[in-house]
Amino acid sequence: MLRTGLKRNAGSVVMLHKTVPQVAQELHACIGCNECLLACPAATGDITIDVLNRETLSGPISTSVARFARSCYQCGACIAPCPVGLHRDAMMMWLKVRMLRSGRGE
Amino acid sequence: MAAPDPRQQNKGETGYSWLFFSGVRAWFLRLVVILLGIGLGGAFYVWYTQHSNDASPDSLAGYAYAIIGTIFLLLAAFLYALRRRSHNKRTIGQLNTSLNLHICFGILGLAFLFFHSFGNFNPRTGTYALYGMIALTISGVVGRFLDRLVPRLIAGEVHKALTARGDDRIETISHELQAIVIHNTQDLRGFTPLPNTKSHQAATSLVPLSGPISNDFPFLYKDQPLHTPWDLAYISLEATPQELNREEGHYRFIPDKKSELMRPGAFMPGAQEHINELQEVERAMQREQFYRYIVRYWRVFHVMLALLTLALTLWHLIYAAQLLLPTFPH
Repeated sequence: MLRTGLKRNAGSVVMLHKTVPQVAQELHACIGCNECLLACPAATGDITIDVLNRETLSGPISTSVARFARSCYQCGACIAPCPVGLHRDAMMMWLKVRMLRSGRGE
Repeated sequence: MAAPDPRQQNKGETGYSWLFFSGVRAWFLRLVVILLGIGLGGAFYVWYTQHSNDASPDSLAGYAYAIIGTIFLLLAAFLYALRRRSHNKRTIGQLNTSLNLHICFGILGLAFLFFHSFGNFNPRTGTYALYGMIALTISGVVGRFLDRLVPRLIAGEVHKALTARGDDRIETISHELQAIVIHNTQDLRGFTPLPNTKSHQAATSLVPLSGPISNDFPFLYKDQPLHTPWDLAYISLEATPQELNREEGHYRFIPDKKSELMRPGAFMPGAQEHINELQEVERAMQREQFYRYIVRYWRVFHVMLALLTLALTLWHLIYAAQLLLPTFPH
C-alpha cells in the first residue's frame, strides 16, 4: 500500500495562480480598455496596456514593463474594474515568474 | 557612447532581485518633501522652545502643530481613499502618485503631532492617540516593505508550482504517476497467482468429449455450457514440463520486514519520488496562499489601525474641547 500523505491535506490546497494556457486565454480576451491599469496603485504613467499584453506571455520584456511587474504587489485592485472579468494579477504573476526564471538563467 | 548589445536588447529585462529599486524620481521627491516638512517643523520647534516659556501642547504653537498634523493625517487618510473610489478623469499612474502622497502626508502628520506634544505625554487621550498614529505609520511603512518582498516570495512559490512551459505541475506529475501505477499494476497482475479452486480447475481443464459438438453458440454438451471455443478445446491448459509453475516456492517469495521490498512503493519504482514531488508542490501552494493572506490582511490591519487611531483622535479632541471651551469666554 502506498502511503502518500496527500489525503491528510486533501482539500486544503487551493490553486491561486493561473497556468500559461489560462493566462494566454485571458490575454486574448482582453479588450484593452485600460481599466485595470487605471485602478492599479503600482502602475506609473509610462506603461500601456498593449505593450503589457504583448510582453506578458513571451518575448523580451521592456524596462517599463519589468519595472511595473516588480512593483505589482498582487493587491487585486485590477480585478473588479475589468469589464470582461479577467485577472490581470494572474497575468502579472506569470510575468514575475518569467523574470525570476530569466534571472536564474532558465 | 557604446552601442547597446543586440543580444541584450533581444533578451530584454531579466531578473527579479530582492532589493530592486524602481521609480527613483518618485522616491527622491517623496524623500525631499518629507525631509523638508520635518526640517521646517523641527526648526520651528527648536526656535520656539528656546524663545518661549509656553512650550506646551495647548500653546499657540502647540495648536498650530496639532492643526497642521491633523490636516496632514486627514489628507493622508481621505485623499488616497477618495482617489481610489473616484473614476472621473483618472489617468494611468495617478493612483501611484496618490499613494506616494498618502505616505508623505502620513509621515509628516505623525511628525507634526509629535511636535504638538512638546514632550508632554501625560494626558492619556493625547498620548493614546499619538501611540495609535505611531503604530499606524509603522504599519504603513512595514506594509510597503511587505508589498515589495511578499510578491517576490509568491513568484518563487508559483515558479515551483508551474512547469517550465507554465503548465500545472500537479497535473503533470499526476499523469506521470498514473502512468507508473497503471504500468506496474499491469506487471503485477501478470504475476498474480491464479486462484486454486476446484471450479477454476474445472473451467480450465479439458472436458473429455464423447459425442458430437453443436455449432450453435453457446456450445452445449449434455446440457452443460462450454465456454471455450471448439478449436481451443483441443489445446491443453495443463502446464507442460518445460513451463514454469507459478505455484512453486521460489515464486512465492515473501520479503521480511527489514527488506527493501517492504518499503512503500517498492513494487512501483518511481512512484514514491513523484509523490514526494507532489507533496513539495502542495507545500509551495500552501506557502503561496499564506503569503497572499499576508498581503491581504496586512492591508486590513492597517485600515483597522486607521479607524482605531481616528477614534482615539476624536476622543482626544472631545477631551481637549471639554478643557478648553470653558476658558474661551474669559
